[in-house]
Amino acid sequence: MQYMLLIYEDERVYGPDKSGPAIQEIVAKHMAFNKELGSARVGGAGLKATAAATTVRTNKGVKTVHDGPFAETKEQLGGYYLIDVPDLDAAIAIAKKLPVLQDGSIEIRPLLGGA
Amino acid sequence: MLDRVARETGGRIVAALAAYFRDLDTAEDAFGDACAKAVEAWPEHGVPFDPAGWLYRIAQRKGLDAIRRRRIRERLAPEPPPPEPTPEDTLLDDARLIPDERLRLIFICCHPAVAPDSRAALTLRLVCGLSVSEIARAFLVAEPTLAQRIVRAKRKIAESGVPFEVPGPDNWIERLDAVLSTIEIAYAKSHEDAASAGAHASFALEVLELTRAFAELLPAEPEALALAALVRYAEARRPARIDDQGSMVPLAEQDPLLWRRSFIDEADVYLKRAWALASPGPRAIQAAIHGTWCWRKNLAEPAPWKQVFALYEELIGHRDDVVVRLNRAVALAEVAGPEEALREADRLASHDLNNFLPWHALRADLLQRVGEISAARAAYDTALALSPESAERIFLERRKSELAGQ
Repeated sequence: MQYMLLIYEDERVYGPDKSGPAIQEIVAKHMAFNKELGSARVGGAGLKATAAATTVRTNKGVKTVHDGPFAETKEQLGGYYLIDVPDLDAAIAIAKKLPVLQDGSIEIRPLLGGA
Repeated sequence: MLDRVARETGGRIVAALAAYFRDLDTAEDAFGDACAKAVEAWPEHGVPFDPAGWLYRIAQRKGLDAIRRRRIRERLAPEPPPPEPTPEDTLLDDARLIPDERLRLIFICCHPAVAPDSRAALTLRLVCGLSVSEIARAFLVAEPTLAQRIVRAKRKIAESGVPFEVPGPDNWIERLDAVLSTIEIAYAKSHEDAASAGAHASFALEVLELTRAFAELLPAEPEALALAALVRYAEARRPARIDDQGSMVPLAEQDPLLWRRSFIDEADVYLKRAWALASPGPRAIQAAIHGTWCWRKNLAEPAPWKQVFALYEELIGHRDDVVVRLNRAVALAEVAGPEEALREADRLASHDLNNFLPWHALRADLLQRVGEISAARAAYDTALALSPESAERIFLERRKSELAGQ
């Protein structure tokens, strides 16, 4: 099954434009983790800070463009993995090993038609 | 006949079907279809030599049929229809041929990806074979609500890809704990009803059977054995929990001669096995607390408050929550006096406890014992306002009425 792992952390730990030493540290960890994942990894990326986010909203058919993320939250989507593994337990095992610098959450979402 | 077979072996058959089809709905529907078939066939052709084996075999065929029809609907090439059972098959039917997959099914129902309030309901439904209305009554929720909870849980299991396997060693401890907690919740629901009015008594038996199966399937897990002991000790006391007037009877006043010996003997065996395996975990200590009570021979023998208090002290090291502390305070009142216990109870005061009946009931009792009559009366009133069950209400009202003479 294919799953999306959505990584939520308080992005402030990485500095205003995600360029400080913390980001170097976490990127290095993700590089190592990618190797470990091997063929289970279908895709993935880190995302720039929500300050760089732009949102297109549709309201009653009218599309408007806004500065900022879809919703202001304490923890923000900071990156994702797309993985292909046998079942949820395998996805959970990977999510538990995913590098994070501090408190945060990994949301595991099966892909529609991702069997 | 069918009712009895379905009740006694339904869990095992559904578990085997779920493992075979790797889908809970297919398994449940197939079992339902097989039961419907039995309603027609058994009166006409007689009850088969082995009813459980018959149900399993027919359900397997019904399930394969259903999958085949689904494939046709989805315009996929259907598998060939399953062969009709031959007369020899009917003779060969044997419950021993049904693989025991209950362990797998329990772990699936109690997967952490399933909402906690749904795990117990799903386990009782699929593994114990209780009806939705029975479970709804025990959980004090409307039947459609509970039915929906079960549907949602099954959908989550199917869509999120919960594996149809017993978890591996990496997740073992976390997952085992989830299962044991679920069984505890299921038992608590059947135990809450002290008067064991009607359906609940048999429901407690289902949980007893579930803990037995679980302990047998995991003979080297001390906490699984301890839980089997715990529910047996608790269930042994059921006949003594209510007096003639329908009032709850506190543990120390229950007549040990009314307790069911056979449950206590069984529990002792489980507890000894648990203790032989490892230093006691939280459930083994809790079982020992229940056991300590159950080892009292008669009312003339002093109540074992000292041992019980010591065990609560030990339990706090494993599980420091407000329920354990409240129970410890009850024992503290007996070993160190009600004043000391009242100070401890007041230290626990918090916003969350404001609606917690046992806390108010304990404070009422302690205030009464130290002679704070008006404060005790207020505490009884608060407790009674939290709509206790009838047995506890009668008990609290009786205690409160004693205040007048003090």
